[in-house]
Amino acid sequence: MSGGDQPRMLVVGIGNPDRGDDGFGPAVARRLRGRHPSKARILERSGDALALIEDWVGFPSVIVVDAMAPISEPGRVHRLDLTSSPLPIGFAPRSSHAFGIVETVELARNLGRLPRYLLAYLVEGEQFATGAPLSPAVAEAIEMVAERILVELSAISGAKGDAGHA
Amino acid sequence: MANKTIRVDYIARVEGESSLELHIRNGVVDAVRLSIFEPPRFFEALLRGRGFGEVLDIVARICGICPIAYQMSGVHAVEDALGIEVDASIRTLRRLLYCGEWIQSHALHIVMLHAPDFLGYTDAIAMARDHGDAVQRALALKKTGNELLRLLGGREIHPINARIGGFYRVPSRAELAPLAESLKHARDQAVETLRWTAGFPFPEFVRDYEFVALRHPDEYPMNAGRIVSSVGLDIAAADYETEFIERQVPHSTALHSVLKERGAYLVGPMARYVLNRDRLPAEIRALSDEVGLEPICRNPFRSILVRGLEVVYACDEALRLIAAYEPPSRPFVPLTPHAGVGYACTEAPRGILYHRYRLDAEGTILDASLVPPTAQNQGVIEGDLREVATAGLDLEDGKLKTSCEQSIRNHDPCISCAAHFLKLQVHRT
Repeated sequence: MSGGDQPRMLVVGIGNPDRGDDGFGPAVARRLRGRHPSKARILERSGDALALIEDWVGFPSVIVVDAMAPISEPGRVHRLDLTSSPLPIGFAPRSSHAFGIVETVELARNLGRLPRYLLAYLVEGEQFATGAPLSPAVAEAIEMVAERILVELSAISGAKGDAGHA
Repeated sequence: MANKTIRVDYIARVEGESSLELHIRNGVVDAVRLSIFEPPRFFEALLRGRGFGEVLDIVARICGICPIAYQMSGVHAVEDALGIEVDASIRTLRRLLYCGEWIQSHALHIVMLHAPDFLGYTDAIAMARDHGDAVQRALALKKTGNELLRLLGGREIHPINARIGGFYRVPSRAELAPLAESLKHARDQAVETLRWTAGFPFPEFVRDYEFVALRHPDEYPMNAGRIVSSVGLDIAAADYETEFIERQVPHSTALHSVLKERGAYLVGPMARYVLNRDRLPAEIRALSDEVGLEPICRNPFRSILVRGLEVVYACDEALRLIAAYEPPSRPFVPLTPHAGVGYACTEAPRGILYHRYRLDAEGTILDASLVPPTAQNQGVIEGDLREVATAGLDLEDGKLKTSCEQSIRNHDPCISCAAHFLKLQVHRT
């Protein structure tokens, strides 16, 4: 993908909307629809993080949105630049068979297939039970994160080469 | 030699939670316990009282790696109970869907989970620094498999498009055409992956398994066939519970399935291949000869070659099915519920998956039985471990643990499915 009107920025909301606060990523993605700049594409992904390596082909700038296990207080939002450093230990437990975001980002880094700019917005979840709704603190963070991502997208698209933060 | 206990508290690069405990007494492996501590999941109980139309959406949730297998065994068992015959095009689409699952599941296991064992890496992430091309090929294969699942299943994880009698929506020939292009490329990637694994160092290790797989008059088995074994078993799916029994063992939340008369048996790619090599096309058999895969392979470490061969086959088969596909006149066969019992066995990537459902006159499920491949392979896995540990008694504990873990991964166990499993403990006393 090169220049023109093709989207150059990708936002991926990751999670399962039927598993409580795991639905945070898709909820933010939905909140962004219709409000995002034309050079941005919004995606929802429900589980297979390895597919991200294919999803972000052609996008110099990528923002992933996901929920994480609580480490301080539910609803607290963390903004992490993964372009040059891995997720800190404690932010994402390693899974055994399915590849999670941590494994996928580090695999992509070793393959030379990371986007030039990769940002993660992670919210600390509270409940992940099947069929549970978003917890109030996490639901409250949706609009705030959506607005911050819109600002990020605006800053990226205003920067030379669509990857000015890198 | 001193008595010793070796314990692996959490087995990596397998799906689900399990541990291994080895007891070595006076230099002899005294006990091997593969413990599955994944919580029991009660799917059979969850199905009771639900309508037959809900089966596929419920069983698809059992596994994120092989949901198609659950849907295919489920759909065929319920249709057996209702006496439904589906159109040939529906059968084609189901086989095509299964090809997608074999491709993505095998590609994940071969390169991302199993290959690091042979090459001495802790995981695929570390391996990617030196074997980036192989990892890229696996990602491309997985993507192609997922494309098939997305188009036919509605989405790649926990798909939603299959229904009793057929599909909610069937694709047009034009929709399948781009997949054919992906599959041609994937086939090349699959052959390269197979040739890459053929160069791995394989331990000399042979076991005398009873192989159990489906066998079909014409096809390499996926959705249909009789259950056969290397020592003469030949039964319909309806007779499964006559020959096999599930047992509870104290150290596991998964049941162990055994042959009532002969005990442990092996299901999965090796069993499928040994019992059905003559059902593979000549070019696939030639490829097996090229990579040195013997017609009767009894070395579980070489199962990675069989998986690689099956990925090539699944690409070819998917291409053949797409070329021959004509959309059905109706996406699904109309249904009238009635009381009945239905049975089915299909070939999940890890081996045969048995389902039985008993329905009342309204089509409500009265009871269900699901026997996943990993539950069937646990006895064999423990048998392999006993021999691997015996051969490695002189190894220091760290190397013995590594060897045991690799032995388990030979069988690509899917523990969430079976928990209905690894920590390693070696007790040397």
